[in-house]
Amino acid sequence: MDIQSILQALEDTSLAAYIRESGSFFPNLESVHVIGIALVFGTIAVVDLRLLGIASHRRSALRLIQELLPYTWVAFAACVVTGLLMFTSNATTYAQNSVFWWKMGLLLLAGLNMGFFHLGAYRRIEEWDTTLPPPGQARVAGFCSLALWACVIGLGRWIGFV
Amino acid sequence: MSSELIIAWIYASPLSTAIRDLSWVVPTIQSVHIVAIAVIFGAAVISDLRLAGVLAADEPMAGVVRRYFPWMRAALIVLLLTGLVMVIGEPDRVLVNTTFWLKMFLVVAVFTLAWSIRRPLLRPAAQAQGADQKLPIKALAWLSIALWCVVIFCGRWIAY
Repeated sequence: MDIQSILQALEDTSLAAYIRESGSFFPNLESVHVIGIALVFGTIAVVDLRLLGIASHRRSALRLIQELLPYTWVAFAACVVTGLLMFTSNATTYAQNSVFWWKMGLLLLAGLNMGFFHLGAYRRIEEWDTTLPPPGQARVAGFCSLALWACVIGLGRWIGFV
Repeated sequence: MSSELIIAWIYASPLSTAIRDLSWVVPTIQSVHIVAIAVIFGAAVISDLRLAGVLAADEPMAGVVRRYFPWMRAALIVLLLTGLVMVIGEPDRVLVNTTFWLKMFLVVAVFTLAWSIRRPLLRPAAQAQGADQKLPIKALAWLSIALWCVVIFCGRWIAY
C-alpha cells in the first residue's frame, strides 16, 4: 500500500467525512487548535525569555521550567489531536501542501532544539539556575525556540492560503 | 451616513484595496495576530492561575500579576492594530458579522474583568497586602480564562 492510498483511505473514513460535512466540527477543531497554540507558545515563551535572561515570576529557571512545562505538554497534545483530525479530513490535500511540510519540518527542528537543550545546558542547570543572564548555550536554545515556534505559527496560518 | 455607505467607503479606500491586492499582507497580519493571542492568553492564564491559587502559590500574587500585566496590555494593542487591518481589508464581510461584534463585546468585557481583579495588586501602595478581599478573585480568575477561550472561538468563527 503506497502513501497515496493510505491518505485516500484516511480521507474515506466516516470520521473524515463527518469532519468535512458537519459544518461546525472543523471550525471548532481550529478554535481548540488555536487555544492549544496560544498555551504552547505562551508558556514556552516565558521559559525561552528566561533562558535569554529576561526575569520571570520566579528566580529559579529549573522551577520555572518544571512549573510551566506540564501545561505546555497538555496544550501540545491538544494541538496534535486537533491537528491530526483536521489532517484526516483532507489528508490528500494537506499532503500536497508544501507549506504544511515546512511546518512539520520546523516542528521537528523545535523538538531537536529542545532535545539539545535537555542534553546540554539543562543537565548543568544547578550551576546557573538563579544566574542572570544564563550561559550562552541556554540563551541560544531560548532564542532558537522562540524563533522556531513563531515560524511554526506563521506557516500554520499560511497553509490555508496556498 | 448609513453603515452600508461606511462599509463601501472603507472598501473603496486605497488602504483597503492594498490589503486585498498584496497577497502576503493578510496571512502575515493573521500570523502576528495569533502570536499576540499566544502572548495575551499565556500571560492571562499564568497570572489567572496564580490568582486562583493553582500556580506559583509560593510567589506573592502582586509580583506575578505585575510581571505579566504589561505583556497583556502590549499584546492587546498589537491585537487591536492587526485586527483593524483585517477589518479594513474586508469591511463588507467583517462589519456585518454578528460573531465579530460578539467577539468585540467579549474582548472589552474580559479585559475589563482581568484589569479589575488585577488593579488592587498593581497599585504601588498595595504591594504588601493581598488581593481585594471584596471580590471573589478565584472564581473571577477562572471566569476570565473561560472568557478568553470563548473570544478565541469567536475569532475563528468569524471566518465562517
